[in-house]
Parts: sequence; C-alpha cells; structure tokens
Amino acid sequence: MSGDPRVRIEGVSHRYGAVAALEDVSLDIADGEFVTLLGPSGCGKTTLLRIVAGFERPSAGRVLLAGEDVTGRPAHKRATNMVFQRPTLFPHLDVFANVAFGLQVAGVGKADQRARVREALELVRLEGYERRRSHELSGGQMQRIALARALVNRPKVLLLDEPLSALDLKIRLDMEVELRRVHRETGATFVYVTHDQREAMALSDRIAVMNAGRIEQIGAPTDVYRRPTSVFAAQFVGDANVLPVDVVEAGDEESTVQLGDTRHQVRCPRPQPGPAWLVLRPEAVEMRAGTPEETPGTLQGIVRDVAFRGTGFGCRIELPALGAQVKAEGRGATPPFDVDDEVGIDWRPESCWLLPRERGDDTPPPPVTSEPESDPAQARA
Amino acid sequence: MSPGRFTGLVTVAGMLFLWLPLLVVVLFSLHTTASLSFPFDGFSLRWYERISESPEVRAAARNSLVVATSTALVTLVLATLAAYGMSRSRSRWRAPLSLLFFLPITLPGLFIGIALLIAFSRLEYSLSLVTVTVAHLVYVFPFFFLLARAALERLDPALEEAAADLGATGWTIFRRVTLPQVWPVLVGAACLAFALSFDEFIITFFVVGPDPTLPLFIWSSLRRTIDPSINAISTLLLAFTVLLFVVTFALTSWGERRRRGTVDPLVLTGAQEPR
Amino acid sequence: MSAVAEPPAASPARAPAPRERGLRLGPVLLTLPAALTLLLFLIAPLAAFAVYSFLTGSLYEVSGPLTLENYREIAQSELNRKLARNSLIVGLLAAVSSVVIALPIAYWLRYTTSRTKTLVLFLIVASFLASYLVRIYAWRTILGAEGVINSGLGALGIVDEPLTFLVFNRFAVTLALVHIYLPYVILVIYAGLGPLQPAYLEAAQDLGAGWVQRWRRVVLPAVAAPVGSALLFVFVLSAADYVTPQFLGGTASVMIGVQVQVAFQGTGDYAGGAAISFALLAGFLVCYGLVALGLRLARLDRLRFAS
Repeated sequence: MSGDPRVRIEGVSHRYGAVAALEDVSLDIADGEFVTLLGPSGCGKTTLLRIVAGFERPSAGRVLLAGEDVTGRPAHKRATNMVFQRPTLFPHLDVFANVAFGLQVAGVGKADQRARVREALELVRLEGYERRRSHELSGGQMQRIALARALVNRPKVLLLDEPLSALDLKIRLDMEVELRRVHRETGATFVYVTHDQREAMALSDRIAVMNAGRIEQIGAPTDVYRRPTSVFAAQFVGDANVLPVDVVEAGDEESTVQLGDTRHQVRCPRPQPGPAWLVLRPEAVEMRAGTPEETPGTLQGIVRDVAFRGTGFGCRIELPALGAQVKAEGRGATPPFDVDDEVGIDWRPESCWLLPRERGDDTPPPPVTSEPESDPAQARA
Repeated sequence: MSPGRFTGLVTVAGMLFLWLPLLVVVLFSLHTTASLSFPFDGFSLRWYERISESPEVRAAARNSLVVATSTALVTLVLATLAAYGMSRSRSRWRAPLSLLFFLPITLPGLFIGIALLIAFSRLEYSLSLVTVTVAHLVYVFPFFFLLARAALERLDPALEEAAADLGATGWTIFRRVTLPQVWPVLVGAACLAFALSFDEFIITFFVVGPDPTLPLFIWSSLRRTIDPSINAISTLLLAFTVLLFVVTFALTSWGERRRRGTVDPLVLTGAQEPR
Repeated sequence: MSAVAEPPAASPARAPAPRERGLRLGPVLLTLPAALTLLLFLIAPLAAFAVYSFLTGSLYEVSGPLTLENYREIAQSELNRKLARNSLIVGLLAAVSSVVIALPIAYWLRYTTSRTKTLVLFLIVASFLASYLVRIYAWRTILGAEGVINSGLGALGIVDEPLTFLVFNRFAVTLALVHIYLPYVILVIYAGLGPLQPAYLEAAQDLGAGWVQRWRRVVLPAVAAPVGSALLFVFVLSAADYVTPQFLGGTASVMIGVQVQVAFQGTGDYAGGAAISFALLAGFLVCYGLVALGLRLARLDRLRFAS
C-alpha cells in the first residue's frame, strides 16, 4: 500500500535475560530516507537494527516492511540487506563470488549475475576487482565490496551497522562521501547505526538519538543539533556546555535567565519560569579579554587551557563564581588568549537553548563517552 | 548464529552414543551373576573382590604403572625440550622436524608396532617392559609435543627478552621465566601421556614380552572366559584414566586462568592456538 | 653543513640485543634428543621394515637377495584383493560416518551460548581417553546374541529371537571404529570452526541463505581442510585396524590389517607381511596426496578469516 512507510517499528521492546535492551521503541522510516540510529554503546541501536534485519526476534512489538508484518520472519526471508561492522567477506570466494552470493542463492542466471555484479562494483568504484581475493584488499576496499554485496540484491532497505568504525579516519571520511553518493544513486532506504555523532550529522536525513533503550529525539541533524530536547542529546550530538540557570522572565520571543550575578537574554519561546539548563555550543561562546570592570554583563572566567587545532582553537575557561568550566571554540590562526588570562564570556540570544531542569539539580550529568565498543548483541561473537 | 534444535539433538545423541556403551561395561561390573545380559540381577562387588585378589591382575596393573610412569617422565623431558627449542627457533629445520614429531599420530599402530618388533629382533633385544616403554614413548610423543608447543607459543616473548636483557642465559631464563608459567600445562600433558600409555594396546600387542600391561591382560582374559571380572578391570581402567583427565583439566584451566583470567576450552584441549 | 646534534654515543660493550639472541642456532639443538630418539626408534625401524619387504621371508626370518617377489605375490593374490577391498569399504564407511555425525555436534559446540557447552566438551575429551580395548569389549558385549541389546529387547518382549545381524559383520566393525574416532573428529572440526565467526553466517543468512545454503556455501568450505584431515585420519587408522575385525568382524569381514598381524605373529612370513604393510602405506600416501591436492586446487587449504 502506497501510504505505508518503508520501515515501521512499532512498540518494540527487547530483553536479554534480565537486561532491557530496548523499551517500547517506535519509529517510521520513509522510502528513500537515510536515518541514523545514534547513541553510545549499550543504548540498543545495534539490537534494534538486528531486529529489523531479522537476526533477533523482539520480546514485544512489531516490525513492518512496506506495510507487511515481518516480525516473525527470519533474516533470509526479508527484503533487507546488511553491511556489518567488519567486512565478513567469505575468504574462500573471490570478489565476484562474494558479491554474487545473494544472487546465486536466489538462483539468478550466470549472465545476469555477471551484469549485476559489474553494476554493483561500478557503484562502489571497484570495477575490475572480480578475481581478487579478500586478503588482497585493504580495509576500505573490503567494506566497499561488502556494500556492493549487499546492494547487488537491490534491497529496498539497506542496514548498516557501524560499517566505518573499523577504518582509519582518512578512509572513513572518503567513505562517507561514497555512502552519500551511493544513497543518492540507488534511492534505497538506508538505516545506519553509529556512535559517531559527526558521522551521523554528515550522512543522515534524520537522526534518532538513542539512550538506554529508548529514542530520546528524532529529527533532522540541524534540529537535533540546534534544538536538543534533552541534556543527553545536547551533550551527545556535538559538544555542549550545559549550565544551570534560572528563568526570571519568560517571554514569547525572548526570555531572561539569571546565571550567577549576571542576566542574559535567550531566544527560546515560552520556557517555564524557574530552573533550567542552558545549552551553549562551544562555537557560540564569545570571549572578550579584560577584567570584570572592562567587560560588564559577561560571565567572568580564567582561561585554563588552550589547544590549537589547525582549523582554529579550543579553550577551557573556568568560571570561579559558578564553579563550572566552559568550552569555547573559535577560528583564527593564533589563539587570542593564553592560559591564566582573564576573560568575559558572553553569547548571542539566538545561539543558545533552554532545557527543563529539576530544582536542586545543579550539576549536569557527565557526557556519555561513545567508545567504539559494541552492545551485548555483538559481544557474543 | 544460535544452533538449531537439530544440532542440539544430535549432540545429545552423540554423547549418549559415546558414553552408554562405557556405562554398560561399568554397570555389569557390578552384576551379581556372571551373565552379561539383561535382566539385571542385582548389584555386587564380587568381581572387584576377585580381581583385587588376583595376583595376575595386580602384576599387570603394576607393569602398566611402571611403563606409564617411565613413558610420562621421559616424554616430559624430551618433548618439553623439543617444544621449547621449536618455539624459540626460526631455523629452517623446523618444518622437517615438525613432520618427524607428528609422524607417530599419522601412522597406524600396526606399523609402529611391527617396525619396532623387527628392530628389536634384529638387534636381538628380547621383548620386555623396556621395549613396551620405548614403543609408548614414540606413540605418546606427538600428543605431549602438541600441547607443550601450544603452551610455549602462547607465552609473551617479551618476558624472556626482558630476562635476557637483564643478563640471564638460556637455562636460567627457562627455569625462572618460562617454567613458572607453563608448568601446569606440562604436568597436565604428562598426565595425558601417562593415561595414553596406560590405555595403549595396538602397538603394545607387538612389543610386549612376558610381562603384560593391563590392556594386554584384558586381551588374554578375553581369550579365556568372558565374565564381569573383565568389566571390573575395564571399569577401573576407565575410572583411573578419567580421573587423571580431570586432574589434567583442572591443572591446565587453573594455569590458564592465572595467565589470562579466563578459560577457553578450545585452547585447553590443545585443539587450537589462542588468538 | 650546519651542525646537527649527534645522538649520545652508545654505551660501550653492551650485551647483544635480545632480538639477535632469538636467531641463534641454539634453540633448535634442544630438539636433538627427541629427534634422535624418534629417528632411532621410529625411522630406523620403519626403514628396516621397508627393507624386509624386499627380502625373502621364511618362518620369522628374512634372507637376501633383494627381490620384488613379495610385491608381485600381493598384486596377484585374490585374497589380498578381497581384504583390501573390505578394508577400503570399512575405512571409508567409518571415516564418512564419523564426519557426518561430528559436523552437527561440532557446529552446536561452536555456536551455542548454553552453559552445558563445557560439560559436553568435557564428556567428549574424557571419552577420548577410554581404552581402545575397553571399547571393543563394550561393543562385543552389547551387540552379541546374548548381549545387552538382544537381552534387553527380549526382556521387553519386543523380539522372540536374538538379532544376529548386529555383530560379526561390517556394521559392528564400523560402529566400533566410529565410536573410537568420533571424539577426535569432533574436536578437529570444532577447532576448524573457530575462525568462522557468527558474523559470517549472519552475513550469509542476510543474503538470503537458509540453513542448507549456509552449510553448502559457507560452513563446509570453511572446514574443508579439517574435515579432509579428519577423513584421512579415520580412514587410514580404520583400514589398518587388526583388532576390531577379529573381535567384531566375523569370518566374512576380515581386513588387511589382520593379514599383516597374522603374517608377523602367526605364519612368520616377515617379508610378505612387510610388503603388504608398505603397499598399504603407499596407498595411504597416495590418499594424503590426493586430498591435499584437491584442497589446494579448490583453494580451501589455507583460508584466512578476518578476526
């Protein structure tokens, strides 16, 4: 039926013994979309992907592909294909036989196989590699072959489980370009899993930020970045300074918040008065040199660390009055400040965001480090 | 990729297939009558009493013990040295030596036994427990070698290099760095060698002299009458070797756990190199 | 040239770097005692054995000159051909049966997450240690006309007369041989499955392969080499077996190993026995070669799986 989303995940929950890996997750993915499940290890993203692929059967809930309930169907009977974290190319077969594997299983004729394999290899820019063996390929090449092996079957839905995490950084960046191109050229629906938020933002049409088995926020990368709906999302997607403030005046367009001694304007529509979290991205922090007298209306701070980054610099500024640290980023060839300089911190009203806060909750939770470890599902291998 | 029900069933069937016949032997060793068929008339230890009183059984058991102990000890020395040498060397002789060391496993016992028989008769050396020990040595060697070499290759070479850098020479390194790490596996392998020697029949058949080992004694008993006393001897033989294996298993897994904090069954059985 | 700072001078008279020590001739010499022992007690006897096959045999003795007579006699002997055929069949049956039974068990062991895995491994390795003779004896008492099976069936009233087809035939011999070698085959295949991570099987399943296709296209190729070596191992040892056929085989299923044993301990025809043995050995070598060649040609002999 034309109205159905390409992939519908309905109320899916999954437990491993006593551990809940997923709690009542629902998500619709439209045809041709590139959706990323983003989250730290253990958040359930890989489990969810494997449930869509058919390798796990959810403890509760349904999975529908193009309107059809496939929850009970095993993986080899679903119209999905997956690219795994490691290439898993079959070492006893050459590239042609690897890529043609799905076609051979389905009984496609030899001539068709040859044509489609050639097409798939062209798609990943590895024409002519048919006779090579996997031990002759580099990591990046192997993943591209794995991609070809999945795409040659013309799946409606392509599932990718952190396919770039085992590759070197430079190759990863090139592969991101390739993935975007392949997505455009094939028009297939991509469901991508990663813990790398930069990768997620670069590739996706929509990002589903996951934490502890639930989807915290779904939206376009710019939305998730500029308007996070939770502290977790704010800290996980991009770097964030999260400061405890009090909303003293709540307006329709602009509001006033109190932070320590100073007041600032925030362009965030109709927040509740009272305690809130102020989310400030490092690149939005403006630093002005000088003593408190020279920089009125700003937060007073002392520079504690300066790091040169090639494209710019990063600073850590301690705010003694608040007992907090703020990260700042800026462009420029030379960092304008040195360690132990006195600075004033300020920002523009439209460059920040407010999130609800419990009274008495004064320290933001520490950001979850996204280590490239896999969830329990993969740890069994 | 969880295995399905079918493979699980075959596994259960396989375990039953492997162990039921042995358990039947054990069962009938406790039979009150001399019959080896159903119906089962009741339990009794009379057959065990009978064999424990038999001087021939005691002599055969003692012979097996002597042979097995000698085999285990000599193999321990020879195979440990060989395994250590192989694992620490990059000589081009490694391949042919490896072939030589594994040869006894690949040859049917018939050939090894007869070859030795010929050798001893040529040398006019009469058959005795000594010839049996020699034969067992040859047979058991590859098993010990395999386990020892696997264990030695698993060790971190950096430890020995550090010792060498600090001025220690070969024997000292072996004694103070290598041995403390691998001795559980070596003792386990020695137990295995002992058990294999104790059980051995096919080669022993050709090189045994007037003093039989326990399996040889069972064989000659079979020629006379088949009664549950044979079951009793067999049960004791079985129990003894299984017990030895349990000791081996415990020792090697304790050693493995000490080294790595975890136990990998594959590595323990020597069936695979650790990754 | 501008002065470039020199690294500090090396300290004098240091011991050679550890890496160099690793390359010295020394370690290999440690293998000498073992190598000499085996050369003395295995290779030399086998050589003598080989020489015997070219001499003339008579009553526990041999005498020169060198001759091919023994081999010619074997080639022409009707009896030997029959025995060889029988050994071949039993060997193949035992080898194939062991592998076929071992494959599902090894698969279960490799991929199960159940806690009984260690118990099963223990059972397999422990059964490995049961003496050859005890096993033969066990099967004899179980399969015989008054054995456990027959008496059990009789007591349950299922049969009136004992089933005689159970023992003293090829079936009994094969059964006992499978019982002996199954543990080893299971372990070899289990080890062979080690590198085949579950991800490979999942990838195959994702590409549409049900269990039949997965076995055919992924599992079996991955373990082709271990399976090949296990088949050879069981075949060679079974075909040359001389105890099992005597004990469980009956008159119609004598095997060639028996012939050899009889030659050496019965008739005393050392030369003839030696000739049969080495003809057998030559046959086995050919089999090894064929299997190795086959694996090499199919490029299944040295698979490297990504870890």
